[in-house]
Amino acid sequence: MWAYIVNLAVLISINAILAVTLNFILGYAGIFSIAHALFFGVGAYTATFVAMKLGADFLLSTAAGMAVGALISLALALPALRVRGEYFVAASLGLQMLAITVFTEWKSVTGGIGGLTNIPPARILGFEVTKPEHFLVLSLTCLVLIILIIRALVRSSFGRSLKAIRDDETAAWAYGKNVAIIKTTAVVLSSALCAVGGSLYAFYLSFINVESFTLDTSVQLMAMVIIGGTATLFGPVVGTILILLLPAGLSYLPYLPPTEIGSIQQIAYGLAMVLLMIYRPGGLWGFQEKPKAKEGGAP
Amino acid sequence: MSPAADSIGGEVLLQATDVAKTFGGLKAVDNVTFALRAGIITTLVGPNGAGKTTLFNLMTGHLVPDQGEVLWLGKSILRLPHWKIARLGIGRSFQDLKLFANMTVEENVETVTERGSWLWQPGGPSARTARKEKVEATLAATGLVDKRHDRAVDLAYAERKFLSMARILAAGADIWLLDEPASGLDLSSRLRFGELLRQATARGVAVCLIEHNLDVVAELSDRIAFLDQGRVLAEGDPQTILRDPALAAIYFGDRRDAAATSEQAA
Repeated sequence: MWAYIVNLAVLISINAILAVTLNFILGYAGIFSIAHALFFGVGAYTATFVAMKLGADFLLSTAAGMAVGALISLALALPALRVRGEYFVAASLGLQMLAITVFTEWKSVTGGIGGLTNIPPARILGFEVTKPEHFLVLSLTCLVLIILIIRALVRSSFGRSLKAIRDDETAAWAYGKNVAIIKTTAVVLSSALCAVGGSLYAFYLSFINVESFTLDTSVQLMAMVIIGGTATLFGPVVGTILILLLPAGLSYLPYLPPTEIGSIQQIAYGLAMVLLMIYRPGGLWGFQEKPKAKEGGAP
Repeated sequence: MSPAADSIGGEVLLQATDVAKTFGGLKAVDNVTFALRAGIITTLVGPNGAGKTTLFNLMTGHLVPDQGEVLWLGKSILRLPHWKIARLGIGRSFQDLKLFANMTVEENVETVTERGSWLWQPGGPSARTARKEKVEATLAATGLVDKRHDRAVDLAYAERKFLSMARILAAGADIWLLDEPASGLDLSSRLRFGELLRQATARGVAVCLIEHNLDVVAELSDRIAFLDQGRVLAEGDPQTILRDPALAAIYFGDRRDAAATSEQAA
């Protein structure tokens, strides 16, 4: 039982990293990227490659993953962010589909459909993280660090510029904001930090394949952010916990045939989304951090 | 009537020379020459669709003219992206305000003082202090100190209008292009608004208003340009323009009368 809880906690902390970094562009900058799973994958494959081929430790492998993630995101951001909203969604969808093909076909690096196995355990400063409890400490530390970085960013002038662009891009231009550079920087930062989640994931499971980095993952991450509350620091964490605990929770319900859990899960997601739209459009955590709206004011 | 032969006010800060812009088959702005001088309020008057907002968009780089030239202090700004034009000190407000709706009043004002695109602002602590002081002074000048922590979207109508003014003020622009800033304001708000403009012109700001309420126009303008169908029909001091029967006829919608009146005058 204890091992099960620790395992779940590690997976939650890794997914929370992905959701928090997605929220940085989705919630604060209004950039709807459905390629976030791609950067998760790039982080995982790059870290694995560097660790297995070069024998690098966790920090170096993760740094390599972040660098490659940042570079690829730059390739997406520079052309795509010159156009507005919906075109970025289309461009990120295209890149996500393309990435799945590359992950599947570039066998010498990604191992193809079968993926990569026997990834060595994470080594930090000579210490091998093999026990799940120790890994939980590592992944939670990464999560906390990333939340602190994002907190500092959104409270800075850069964060205000992002929110200004999200709220009105035309006015942001008219007040001297170089919107293209600001958005590109945001996407690059978000992708680099997301890659940390990928690196953790690879070292934790010691096995990765393309299944974890598909469009479904991107959509699920978006659901985590929206259910938890966009543009809030802890909303995405709350959303991650909820979505990852739901299947686990359902399996404890009596009289529920295990074969039906999958479809019931889908119903539960759908219901949760609809109820949120009606009662809490700002997300579950949305009311905590936003200034209170006036009596009767539309949210 | 030759435009801008007589000149009041200081030096020309912003000048459009012979600019034209066509949308499809419609000449929205048709060979307009128009100057904004330091220290005075110039008002653009004219019926809806006369090309007033398009002229603003041409002068701020939101639109590129098909022909003609836009000069800032005598230098062409046509090839600059519009965020760079904004940094020259050309500020504008929008008819639909375009506030940063989900940010607080204070953040709305603070963010326009921050021009750096990277993760930090240049200038260090002294520049930071200067920005803070600017924000405080702006909130005080626009009467928004008590509302500083409210989101822009939660403000009352007049407060939103003043927040829109606060952004221009805080941005430190010395050319203000204001698109119907006084519409819907009650008398006391309008007086406060007029006071803001007077303080600005006293500092040498060139103000350009688009305004439909002729009481406001008469009250505030030092100079009026009358636009119709993309052209400047007349430019001059408020008395002359506002009393011109031909212009009044166009403004109030009867072009035939206007033609007749002009013919009689001729």
